[in-house]
Amino acid sequence: MLRDPRVLLLDKPGDKHLLLGNEAIARGAVEAGVHVFTMYPGTPASEIGDALAQIADGAGMYVEFSTNEKVGLEVAAGASLAGARSLTAMKMVGLNVASDTLITLAYAGVKAGFVIVSADDPDCFSSQNEQDNRYYALLASIPCLEPSNPQEARDMLLSAFDISEELELPVMVRMVTRVSHTRGIVTFGPIEKRKVGSFVRNPEHLVMVPVNARRRHIALLEKMSLTSKIVEQSPYNRISGTGTLGLITSGVSYNYCLEALRLIGISAQVLKVGTVNPLPIGLISKFLQSVRQAIVVEELEPYLEVQVKAIADDTAKDVKILGKLGGFFPRHGEFSPGIVAAGLSKIVGKAPTLNYEMIVKKAAQADSITPPRPPMLCPGCPHIASFHVIKVAAEGRAVVATDIGCYALGYQPPLSVGDVMISMGASAGMAAGLSKVTTDPVIGVVGDSTFFHASLPGLVNAAYNNHRFVYAVLDNLTTAMTGHQPHPGTGLTATGKVSKRIMIEDLAKACGIDYVRVVDPFQFESAVSTMKEAIHQNGPAVVVFRRPCVEIEPHERAVIEQSVACRRNV
Amino acid sequence: MNPKTFDVIVSGVGGQGVILASEILGDAALKEGLDVVISEIHGMAHRGGSVVSHVRFGSDMYSPTITEGSADVILGFEPIETLRALKFAHQDTRIIMNSEPIIPVTVSTGAHRYPTLKEVVEQCQTFTKHITVLDAFKIAEEAGSSKTVNIVLLGALAATGLLPVKEENLTQTIKGHVPEKFLKENLNAFDAGKRAVVSK
Repeated sequence: MLRDPRVLLLDKPGDKHLLLGNEAIARGAVEAGVHVFTMYPGTPASEIGDALAQIADGAGMYVEFSTNEKVGLEVAAGASLAGARSLTAMKMVGLNVASDTLITLAYAGVKAGFVIVSADDPDCFSSQNEQDNRYYALLASIPCLEPSNPQEARDMLLSAFDISEELELPVMVRMVTRVSHTRGIVTFGPIEKRKVGSFVRNPEHLVMVPVNARRRHIALLEKMSLTSKIVEQSPYNRISGTGTLGLITSGVSYNYCLEALRLIGISAQVLKVGTVNPLPIGLISKFLQSVRQAIVVEELEPYLEVQVKAIADDTAKDVKILGKLGGFFPRHGEFSPGIVAAGLSKIVGKAPTLNYEMIVKKAAQADSITPPRPPMLCPGCPHIASFHVIKVAAEGRAVVATDIGCYALGYQPPLSVGDVMISMGASAGMAAGLSKVTTDPVIGVVGDSTFFHASLPGLVNAAYNNHRFVYAVLDNLTTAMTGHQPHPGTGLTATGKVSKRIMIEDLAKACGIDYVRVVDPFQFESAVSTMKEAIHQNGPAVVVFRRPCVEIEPHERAVIEQSVACRRNV
Repeated sequence: MNPKTFDVIVSGVGGQGVILASEILGDAALKEGLDVVISEIHGMAHRGGSVVSHVRFGSDMYSPTITEGSADVILGFEPIETLRALKFAHQDTRIIMNSEPIIPVTVSTGAHRYPTLKEVVEQCQTFTKHITVLDAFKIAEEAGSSKTVNIVLLGALAATGLLPVKEENLTQTIKGHVPEKFLKENLNAFDAGKRAVVSK
């Protein structure tokens, strides 16, 4: 985190600062004159919101942490339709949640610039999967830019706003962990002061009943064919180097390619694709015609490779195209210069100066005496107490559907509470299904922020269809895992202002749950007896384990505790 | 092993100040007029897990991560975290390692054994003979606060004379990154780290 986020507000074009990729996005938002910013925090995207929340007032920007990514995208899209440049950011799995709105929003189009930043997490550093969100741009038919470093993240964000306004389309900027969490030198540009427009009614464009949707789909395809012309001219698609060997790459992999070429000591022409949707088909054809062999280097899925092969089939049949479909590069995990060099050297038949496989082998000896150090719950964490209560109350027999957050770490021994964990809010639905079959008590475990994010439909379903399980809500009064952002249960907004506090127990009752209790996990005996009573209910039960995270800043805790004192517990 | 870049792997445990140390190195290099790239890991790993940060400065560099077998320095905040970073070492790599272990849960539950310091050093020696081991925890405590292990190690790194960054740039940067009330103990820690290497 920047020591002083106000740096991002400096109106000093030409200034150079060492910024995280995410902070460069925040700076880009300031320069682009973004009026509305929304996000649901998630690694590796969180610092975009953390930075903007701290400078919102100074930037004259409205910043909110939304309850989930779908809501966040909708709030930002609404603001765009009303004439204000808007930005929403999320981790890659957040786009799964928001995709329903995104795909149809592309039909409707937007008004003032609207950009979605998706931060992917190759290697699952802090995620439940490593999906490749470039496919969302393809699926939704929206332009997508992919930066390879923090400077480009800032530059491309600004370009994304311009493209969005030119075509009245949502535009995506796809980051990955090694861009979001890379700190590099970023040169500032001028800060635009932008006027906010006004909402213009146009229901034929914006009300997606079938008759309008059919027409707007055609309009979207026309916009994308215009985009194809834009990307052919884009400065973000560029060729460097010389030779009859061609490398086609994008984003962070571009960096690995340049270092790998140096490691092997060969030259090649490198086409860096910055506009990953739509691809610059003309430029790629021309590039293919200028080389004898083309190697596609990209992390995760063969997104470029498949499309490049299709382009070659039309325009450069004689050029051999190799990549991960031929097994030269892995389809999982993140790349490194060594991994790319190993793949390239297999293809060109020349060994790198650095014997990557040998190094890995030697390091494996050291690894063999190195005990693993998995992440774990902090000393004094209230979740540890909650898990202990759950274990004792269920007498070790419970089947537990857990959820996304710090408390997912409770699945590890010695706590061992958590038998399945898939996605945000899935605990409620999964617990319901488990309870239909197993005869053991079923417990769902969810955190406070995740409860608001996506578990409510599951909870209503549990009440409506009378699923018999206990939903344990571990309420530590913050979104701890992603950096302690506030949520509706804290009564504080993203910018630290006191707002309406939404009580989890009130919501549970409103969802139709009859048995709702609040316990303090540190009051062990009473918490165990409540939990036992909950397990013996004939329908769904909710037990809220409330105690603040040990890592919450003292001043924040005081505000929350004051807010708690104003309310009578259930 | 690109002569134009200086690559430092900072490896430790979440909470030890790995990221702060990396930022200080990066900012000091920026003051020096060098290009800087740092790659950090945030999020789940931070909950007491292993944290490794790649700090690169100089010119003509692209990758945010350091190539395996190419680090100029490995700054190990903890013995087994140093072992985990060895794939970045080569025969000329300087390893500066804190000898004070932080026992992981996999050892305290009896599932794994923590290696002896001798074993750790032997593994390091299979890569390089340039190894400096110091009890940075004890040095930090004596300098005023056990929380300054990261700054002790930066001091030790400065004392090797390998860094293409002037010492006053480093101390100036520390002043910009550390809250006023903790400044004295941090500057003490830096000096103590330096002395620990010089006296060896």
